Amino acid sequence: MMRADGIGLYIHLPFCVRKCAYCDFCSFAGVDGSIISEYADALASEILSYRERGFKVDTVFFGGGTPSLLSPEDFRKIMRAVRESFLLSDEAEITLEANPKTLDRNKLEAFVASGVNRISLGLQSIHENELKTLGRIHSYSEFLETYRLCREAGIDNVNVDLMYGLPGQTVESFKETLRAVIDLSPEHISVYGLILEEGTPLYEKQSTLSFPSEDCEYEMYLLADRHLSRAGYCHYEISNYSRAGKESRHNLKYWRCEEYIGVGVSAHSYLDGYRFGRTQSLTEYLRDNREYLNKEYIDRDGEALEKIMLGLRLREGISLKEYEDLFGFDLTEKYREKLITFEKMGYARIFSGRLSLTAEGFYVSNYIINELTEST
Amino acid sequence: MTDRQKYIRNFSIIAHIDHGKSTLADRILEKTETVAVRDMEEQILDNMDLERERGITIKARAIRLAYKAKDGEEYVYNLIDTPGHVDFGYEVSRSLKACEGALLVVDATQGVEAQTLANAYLAIDNDLEILPVINKIDLASADVEGARREIEDIIGIPAEDCPAVSAKCGLNIEDVLEKIVTDIPAPEGDPTAPLKALIFDSHYDPYLGVVVYVRVLDGEMRAGDKIRLMAQGTEFELFEVGTMEPFGLKRQDSLSAGEVGYFTASIKTVGDTRVGDTVTHADRPADEALPGFREVHPMVYSGIYPADGARYGDLRDALEKLQLNDASLVFEPETSVALGFGFRCGFLGLLHMEIIEERLEREFNLDLITTAPSVIYKVELRGGEVVMIDNPSKFPSPDEISVAYEPIMKANIITPTDYIGGIMDLCQERRGVFVDMKYIDTERAEIHYEMPLNEIIYDFFDALKSRTKGYASLDYELKGYKQSKLVKLDFMLNGEVVDALSFIVFEDRAYGRARKIAEKLKENIPRQLFEIPIQATIGSKIIARETVKAMRKDVLAKCYGGDITRKKKLLEKQKEGKKKMRKLGSVEVTPEAFMAVLRLDDEG
Repeated sequence: MMRADGIGLYIHLPFCVRKCAYCDFCSFAGVDGSIISEYADALASEILSYRERGFKVDTVFFGGGTPSLLSPEDFRKIMRAVRESFLLSDEAEITLEANPKTLDRNKLEAFVASGVNRISLGLQSIHENELKTLGRIHSYSEFLETYRLCREAGIDNVNVDLMYGLPGQTVESFKETLRAVIDLSPEHISVYGLILEEGTPLYEKQSTLSFPSEDCEYEMYLLADRHLSRAGYCHYEISNYSRAGKESRHNLKYWRCEEYIGVGVSAHSYLDGYRFGRTQSLTEYLRDNREYLNKEYIDRDGEALEKIMLGLRLREGISLKEYEDLFGFDLTEKYREKLITFEKMGYARIFSGRLSLTAEGFYVSNYIINELTEST
Repeated sequence: MTDRQKYIRNFSIIAHIDHGKSTLADRILEKTETVAVRDMEEQILDNMDLERERGITIKARAIRLAYKAKDGEEYVYNLIDTPGHVDFGYEVSRSLKACEGALLVVDATQGVEAQTLANAYLAIDNDLEILPVINKIDLASADVEGARREIEDIIGIPAEDCPAVSAKCGLNIEDVLEKIVTDIPAPEGDPTAPLKALIFDSHYDPYLGVVVYVRVLDGEMRAGDKIRLMAQGTEFELFEVGTMEPFGLKRQDSLSAGEVGYFTASIKTVGDTRVGDTVTHADRPADEALPGFREVHPMVYSGIYPADGARYGDLRDALEKLQLNDASLVFEPETSVALGFGFRCGFLGLLHMEIIEERLEREFNLDLITTAPSVIYKVELRGGEVVMIDNPSKFPSPDEISVAYEPIMKANIITPTDYIGGIMDLCQERRGVFVDMKYIDTERAEIHYEMPLNEIIYDFFDALKSRTKGYASLDYELKGYKQSKLVKLDFMLNGEVVDALSFIVFEDRAYGRARKIAEKLKENIPRQLFEIPIQATIGSKIIARETVKAMRKDVLAKCYGGDITRKKKLLEKQKEGKKKMRKLGSVEVTPEAFMAVLRLDDEG
C-alpha cells in the first residue's frame, strides 16, 4: 500500500435513465428525483465520516451509473461535503461521467462552477445500429451536441468512451468511429472490448446476434492501438489512451496500488491496507452507509501480487528495483525463462529498469500475469 | 478313505458372468444355516465393495459349511469360490484343482455362454465332476429345457435330472444340496502319506500376516510343523492351521487329506506364496510336487502416474498395499519426461488393470494419469539379440529391428446369429484370423478367431458389446507369438516428443490412428500464447499433423476500484484450472489428453 501525496475519492451514482444492454454495473433505472436527493444526503454523510482523518485528496471521480443525472443542488451538496471532509488540493482532477442527453448548458455550468474540470462521455460508437443494439439512449449527433457544450463550458479535459467487438460491428465501421473521434481530438479516449456479462440482456440474447470473430476483434484492438498512436495518443493502459499529461490521474491510482476512498453503493476503497466495499443495495445503503463488505487485509504477498496484476496493465509497467526493494526478490531472476519467452514473442519488454507489456501483451495479460504470479 | 473324508465335499461354482453364481452361493450358505437369514448380507462371498458393485468375484474365497443331508448324516461342504473372468484363468484352474466337483450355473434365459464353456472345459480338464444347475427359472423368459439341451449338446454332459432353481427366490436349493452329496465324490488321499497340500489362494491380514488357503491332498498338517513350499524352495514353521467359517477363521488342531483350510506362518507378503505351489513337510517331503504349477505373468502393462506429482509416495504405498493381496500385480518405478515419476504396472488383463486403477482411485483417493495399455512385444534386433518390450517408449527404432513379434490370442466369441456379420467385420478390422464357427443352435453361434492381443486391449470388448447390443460374450487365451509389422507411433507437441503418448501399432493401422489421436489431442490442449503443432511420427517421418491455434484474447478490459477484487478472483480461478494442467515441455495439456490415446471409438 502506498500513500501518495493525495488520495483518490470515488463517488458512485447508481442512477440511469435506462440501463444499457451490456451493463452489469450497479445502477438503477427510472429512479425518482427525490430518492436521488435522499441518496445525495447519504453520500454527503458518508463523506463527512472521513472528516476526522484529515486526508488530502487530489482526485475526485463521479462515476456510475450516470452522475450527470444529478441536479446542480445535489451535486453542490456532495461537493460541499467533500471540501469539508478533505483537504481538496487546488489542482485536483475532478471528473464527472456523463451521458449525452443528460446534460444541458445550465447544468454543465453549474457542475463546472462546483469544480468539475474533466468530463468523461460515453459514446461507444458513431453508428446508430450499433448504439441501438447496446441500448444507448442517445444518437451520434446528440453526442456531438453534448461534446460541443462541454468545450463551450471550458472543459479542456474530455474523455470519450468507445467499444469494439459489438454485435454487427465490422473492422471498417470501427475504423470510422475511431476516425471520427480522432477528428474531435478529445484529450483522452477509452477503448473497451465488449464483455458479455452474465445476467445482462445482451448476454441473454447473444445467440440471436452476430459478433465479430475472435480474429476480427483482435484486429479492431490493434487498429485502435495503431490509429490512436499515430494520432498522438499514448496507449498508457490496456483500454486507455491519452494525450501527454492527460492520463486519468484518478484511475492511475488504482493501477499504481495507491490509496483511494470509494463512497456510495457498491463503491470500493483501499485504505490503511484494507480493501472493502459497500452494499449493492440502495435501500440497505440509505439505511446504513457505514457497513463494510468483504473487508480484506492486503498483506505483503497480496501486495506483491496486486503490484504485478495492476502494474502490468500500464504501459509504464513495474519498476524492477522498486519491486525488489518492496518485496525482497528480483522478478527477472524468479521468472527468467518465462520473461525471455514473453520478450521473444513480443509480449513483454524490459527497458530502463522497468518490466512492461506491449500492446500485443496487453491482450493476453491475464495469461501473462498468471505466469508471473505463480507462487504469490 | 477315512470316515472323516467320506463326509467331505469340496466343490466350486462356475458360471458365465451374471448367471447368478454369487447369488447361488448365498442361498447355499443360507440353506445350510451357516449364516442366519437375518444376518445375510447380499453376496457374502464377495467382500470387496468393488466386487459387489460389478457383480463379479475378483479374488477366490473359500468357506466351510455344515449340511445335514436327507440320509441323516452331517456333511462338511467346502465351497471354493472362483473368479469369473478370463483375466484370472490360472487362479480359477488352481481353485478347481482343490475340488472334486463343480456346480456349473447356467442362466435359463441366456443358455450356455463363452465363459460357461471355457469354465466347463477347465473343470473337465481338471477331472471334476460337473453338476449343472439351471438358474433364474423364476423369470418369464426362462427356457429350462433349452438350457438343458444346450448343456448336453454343447458341453456334452448329461443334464436330464439336473436341478432347476431360482437362486434369487431360493427355489429348489435343496435339490442342489442333495445332489452335491450324491453326485460329487468324496475326496481321496492318504492321511498317513507325506504331506501334499495345494495353495489355491492367500490373503494378507495385518495381524496374522499372510493367510494361505490350501487343499490337503495327502498327509496332515499341524501347528508347529516345519513346512516347505516346493516350487519356491522356502521353509516356514506353521503358526496356526484352521478352517474358513463364514464369519472368519477358526483354528483347528490339524488339517488332513481331503480337507480345505488355511495356515499361517511367518510369511510377510503374498508374493512369497505362489498359487499352485505344493506345501510339504521339510523333514518328510513328498517325492514330487503337484503338477501344473506355473508363474503367472502379466499380459498387459501400463504406466500409472499420480496426477499430482507430490503424491508419488502415496501411490507407491497404495500399490504396495494392493500387492499384499494380489501377487499378480507387478510394478516398478519408471520416469516419464512428460509425467514425471510413476510406475510401470503389469496386469493379468484389462479387467485386472481397470480394477487396480479403480481401487487406487477409490480406496486411496488418488488422481491418476494412466498411459495406454501395452502388451509385451518380442523384438529381434539386427545384432541377433532378442528383447521383450513392455513399454512403448523402449521400442527400438525401425532400422534397429530385424523381426518383431506380438502376442496372438485364441478368441472365442458366442453370439446370437444376427450379429455374426458385424462381429466378423469387427474381427477382420482388428486383424483377426478366422479359425472356425459352430452353430450352437438356430439362434446362436460360437466363433473362433486368432487375434493380436494388441487389438483386444484396444477397446475391442467395448466395440464388441456395442455391435451386438451386449449379447456377445468373449473369452480368450494366449496362443503364442507371431511375426508382425509393428511400428512405434510417437507424438510431438511443439516439436518435442511426449514419451507418455507413444504406443506400438500395426503398421497399416498407423495412419488412421495417428490422425484420430492428433485430432483428440487438439481438443484437449487449451490455446496457449503460441501456436502448437501436433505431429504424429514414425521414426523421423511425420504421418499426421494438427495445429492448436494461438490464444487470442485473455484480458479483463475494465479494471477499476471494485474490479480489483473481482479480477483477483478471476485470476485465482484461472490458477486453479492451471494447476490441473500437465506441462509437457513448453505445452500445457489437460489430464484428459492422455485418455485420448486410450479411448477411441468403435472403428479404431
